[in-house]
Amino acid sequence: MELFTPELGLVFWMFIAFIILFFVLAKWGWPIIIKNMEERADTIDKGVEYAKEAKAQLDSARADAQKFLDEARRQQAEILRDAAKMKSQIIEEAKKEASEEAKKVMDAAKVSIEQSRKEAELQFRDEVSKFSLDIAEKMVRSQLKGDKAQTELVNKLLDEIENN
Amino acid sequence: MNSKKVSIILGLIVMILLSPLTMNASNGDKEEGVNVKEIMFHHLGDGYGWEVPFSHVYRIPLPVIVRAEDGKWICFSSSRLTKLEEVVDHKTGKTKLEAVPQIVNVNKDGKSYNFVLAHYSSHSNKVVQIFPVESDNDKSELKAASEISSEGEYGVDRVIDGYVLFDGQYYKEYRPIDFSITKNVLALFITALIVTLMVMSVVRWYAKKGLKAPRKGMGFMEMLIDFIYTGVIKSSLHDKAKQFAPFLLTCFFFILVMNLVGLIVIFPGGANLTGNIAVTLVLAVLVFIVINIKATKHYWKEIFWPDVPLFLKFPLPIMQCIEIFGIFTKPAALCVRLFANMMGGHMIVITLTLLIFIFAAFGAAATGGSVVISIVFSIFMLALDILVSFIQAYVFTLLATLFIAMAQDNGHHEEKHPQVEHASLPDPDNDEKKDGSTQVVA
Repeated sequence: MELFTPELGLVFWMFIAFIILFFVLAKWGWPIIIKNMEERADTIDKGVEYAKEAKAQLDSARADAQKFLDEARRQQAEILRDAAKMKSQIIEEAKKEASEEAKKVMDAAKVSIEQSRKEAELQFRDEVSKFSLDIAEKMVRSQLKGDKAQTELVNKLLDEIENN
Repeated sequence: MNSKKVSIILGLIVMILLSPLTMNASNGDKEEGVNVKEIMFHHLGDGYGWEVPFSHVYRIPLPVIVRAEDGKWICFSSSRLTKLEEVVDHKTGKTKLEAVPQIVNVNKDGKSYNFVLAHYSSHSNKVVQIFPVESDNDKSELKAASEISSEGEYGVDRVIDGYVLFDGQYYKEYRPIDFSITKNVLALFITALIVTLMVMSVVRWYAKKGLKAPRKGMGFMEMLIDFIYTGVIKSSLHDKAKQFAPFLLTCFFFILVMNLVGLIVIFPGGANLTGNIAVTLVLAVLVFIVINIKATKHYWKEIFWPDVPLFLKFPLPIMQCIEIFGIFTKPAALCVRLFANMMGGHMIVITLTLLIFIFAAFGAAATGGSVVISIVFSIFMLALDILVSFIQAYVFTLLATLFIAMAQDNGHHEEKHPQVEHASLPDPDNDEKKDGSTQVVA
């Protein structure tokens, strides 16, 4: 059976061919291909990982931004509210101050009025007393036209002084 | 469009069915039987020249390298083994060219050597050195030999051991050590070259394009490499995958390309390589060497002192015998599986084709029918053979990987699990180191 008996020549050449092929490919072929395939797989894995991370970061950044925005809005509202409060307070204070000032002015006016009134009163009294004296003088003068009357009065007055 | 196609196919079938009629008319009624065995062996076997496509006469000459009886190496062209001769077909009366064997005479260092391509000899279709039977002593020896082996079926042409019949004359023959670059050897070299080019094209791509993934054919190549490396080698050898990957990948691609090249009918293909036991034998021997040289102590311990009840291994080494037998049967199974599968595929295709010529004896209708059936079945079988080519290369690599993985076993299955839990040690190669570390953990 020719088919079932291995030929020595073919065995020899097959061995040579396989060994040469093996050494050539083991040196310059397979390790490079395997290394490259693994490197590529690693790179792809890393890329996927990186993309995932980037997405997560983007999401968190978006959340952060939203948070900051909300915060800013809140602060804005607060500031506005404070401003309104301050405005009304200032107005209030101004009003109060104005009224106080007005009151002071009024008081001062009252005092001066009182004073002038008193002065006027005093003046008036003086005037009145002066008038009354004048009148009295004139009356007395008219009454004391005779010497008897004059002597009587002088006596009377002397009596008064003596009695005192 | 469709009906046009159908009519073309029908026309072809009718033509095929009618063609034997014209063939028979020209050939006459009596046709001598086809020698199925010879044709089949010619196609499955090796040859000194390589047939030029679609010609049975012309061959591509290849060097014949033989070691003559006196130890001299002799080299000559295979074209000298045959000469072209006009042969008259005794039935049709037509002349046709035929390659007829002739004696090659080579002179080297003043000595003359005669070689011939044996036909009626025990070394059929091989180059043999011949010596003329001249002296009375030789003649009486030949007579004695012919009486011993008298059961030949060819009458005068019967095969006598140690003698070759050429041109109606017996010569004493010597089968030289034959390192010729035959058809199969050249096909081996071509296959190795194809594999190298295939692999190197991917390597060149990497050198040029870096980490960019290869496209088209190279992508397919890379897919195959990844399929074998990740799917087969890495899954069973784990951290030792890199050590054995070059050998196993070379095996896979060499076998795959040999299988596929064998299916191509004309020149670069047509050599039945993996269907030749010498080729599969070398592959199996290499696998055997790799398994046993790289084997661990545990593997040899399992062979010479396996974990079985004492009576199975002590007074009578029953288990040892079985295990040692197993060392050899594993690669032998690889060798025979690949050889038988590939040769079977080729044989079926050839048989289906030969059916046409066998049925030709039964008339035109039978021939026509057998032509259609044979062609359909041949195409089916060839398509199946493409699948088988891949599967056989895959199975060979898979089993070789498993055998190697078995011989790489360190026998620490039970200790491995707690060890992984305690500390993730990167699986040290050294046995003693491992034992030490487990002690520390304990």
